[in-house]
Amino acid sequence: MHRSPADIVREYGPFPGAEGVHGVTCDGQHVWFAAGDKLIAIDPETGTPVRAIEVAADAGTAFDGQHLFQLAENHIHKIDLQSGEVLATIPSPGGGGDSGLAWAEGTLWVGQYRDRKIHQVDPETGAILRTIDSNRFVTGVTWLDGELWHGTWEGDESELRRVDARSGQVLETLEMPAGVGVSGLESDGRDQFFCGGGRTGKIRTVRRRRQDQPLQLLRPEVDSPET
Amino acid sequence: MDSLITAAARALAAGDPLGALKRVALRDDAPALALRGIAMAQLGDLARAKVLLRKAGRAFGPKESVARARCVVAEAEIALVSRDLGFPARALDAARSTLDAHGDRLNAAHARHLEVRRLLLIGRVDEAERALAALDPTPFPAASRAAHELVVAGIALRRLRTGPALAALERAADAARRAGIPALVAEVDSAFEVLDAPSARLIASGEERPLRLAEVENLLASEALVVDACRHAVRDAATIVPLATRPVLFALARALGEAWPADVPRDTLLARAFGATHADDSHRARLRVEIGRLRTKLRPLASVDATRRGFALTPRRNRTVVVLARPTDDAHASVLALLADAEAWSSSALALALGTSQRTVQRALDSLATSSRVQSFGRGRSRRWMTKPVPGFTTTLLLPASLPID
Repeated sequence: MHRSPADIVREYGPFPGAEGVHGVTCDGQHVWFAAGDKLIAIDPETGTPVRAIEVAADAGTAFDGQHLFQLAENHIHKIDLQSGEVLATIPSPGGGGDSGLAWAEGTLWVGQYRDRKIHQVDPETGAILRTIDSNRFVTGVTWLDGELWHGTWEGDESELRRVDARSGQVLETLEMPAGVGVSGLESDGRDQFFCGGGRTGKIRTVRRRRQDQPLQLLRPEVDSPET
Repeated sequence: MDSLITAAARALAAGDPLGALKRVALRDDAPALALRGIAMAQLGDLARAKVLLRKAGRAFGPKESVARARCVVAEAEIALVSRDLGFPARALDAARSTLDAHGDRLNAAHARHLEVRRLLLIGRVDEAERALAALDPTPFPAASRAAHELVVAGIALRRLRTGPALAALERAADAARRAGIPALVAEVDSAFEVLDAPSARLIASGEERPLRLAEVENLLASEALVVDACRHAVRDAATIVPLATRPVLFALARALGEAWPADVPRDTLLARAFGATHADDSHRARLRVEIGRLRTKLRPLASVDATRRGFALTPRRNRTVVVLARPTDDAHASVLALLADAEAWSSSALALALGTSQRTVQRALDSLATSSRVQSFGRGRSRRWMTKPVPGFTTTLLLPASLPID
């Protein structure tokens, strides 16, 4: 397993009116985050909030290309991106102990925080299709390039981990600095992650270093993400 | 943090403990236990809250030191509100250091407030003031700010500085309104009442009238020589002669003060000081001895002069003499008077000071405790007694603004 320090390249927030960042997703244009009693969209270029949807948003957030999915209490709401309307509701697999949410290839992936599990769920019925175990608290969940990643956060320690979607085996970890937590996780589909910072109300961008790329930790300042 | 915990915390922060409980009632994981504990505390079931918070503290993992520290702080607040003053200060201090070290300044400040309130309750006013000075309340949210100002007011009241107390209470009222917590607003209102209520009686030239706290403060700063039956001392603005441990001398001083400028007959003094109904020669001899002792004690403030039928007090520099008494005199006045110095007394020290048996003192304390006029903390030999808490003191549960979870 490969371990390396997380390369934090940018920090957004905290944002006025947001009690924290409980979940993060990206609709291709804006970064959305779950702020307790609403979903807030920010422009990742400028970091300014551009839109909000009034809906209970207690934990993970996901986007399927058309709809937002949002954990609220012990349910997952399917929300119309344009109107902000809740179109459907399914029970969450962890019965309220759920934390992270991700969309991939027609199914939802849901992290179950203190039970250290990740469930694959049918987005129509909420039926659990598969469950894999982690050995850490599971916060955010996301897919990047066909790889399953999840955040962990236990006390002062927090990591991003790439795991085998079948066995749950940890393949790679990016360690966050001590005291910096990951409450929600989303990839930009290319080479970086948006990480929610819980009640600090911050969102941080972590660059994912490819195996064939040189370590970029020593680069002074990164102004714009590589494409 | 998980979905239901966030929802429950949101309900709690919005002042809806039942809504919070509804969401986590059936869960026994650490954050749920902590939330249930805080909700129960806000609903007034302190015993249940304490159990839940203790369970939560144990259920958090070894890496979750901040969450555990917050549980300790919440438990300490419950202990304080239920006047369980024996709560280990060391555990609270350790929790505060943990929170400080992890950048949780708000809860660290909350822990410090609890420590200050405890010190104030057990009469360690100097220490309370020092600990409070370490806090800058400016960045606090409104509820914490209100709690802070109530403590500032409490210390000022203990020191009988009504001006600063009033100013602090006005700031507390403003903060409580901004916080929008009705219980806190009510708390501040009742603290204001303390400033207006009669807190002592003035006995001067044979007449009595009630005094408010500010009037007491003015009196003690005035030219008058005050026989202070609240603290068992004779004092003017510059000099205090404490007589708390000399009940016979104080009884004589009070009798002389009440009669001033007249003198007091020997028989009256004997009755007041020794409870003697008829006097014989040995009583008269004893009175001479005690008057001699009182004369020595009071020398900086007044002389005690023999008259044809008894004794009279003559203050230096022609001042007036007044007696400051508790609002009501009652059966256990001497015990209450000793406790009025705001220190924590052991029953053996009270017995020593009053020249009576420990058993008598214990009976008095038990009866005063039954009528909620005194309270104790600690157990066995380390048990200490004191009067009821200073006014202007929040009993509202203001459990940590950010909950013992993420």
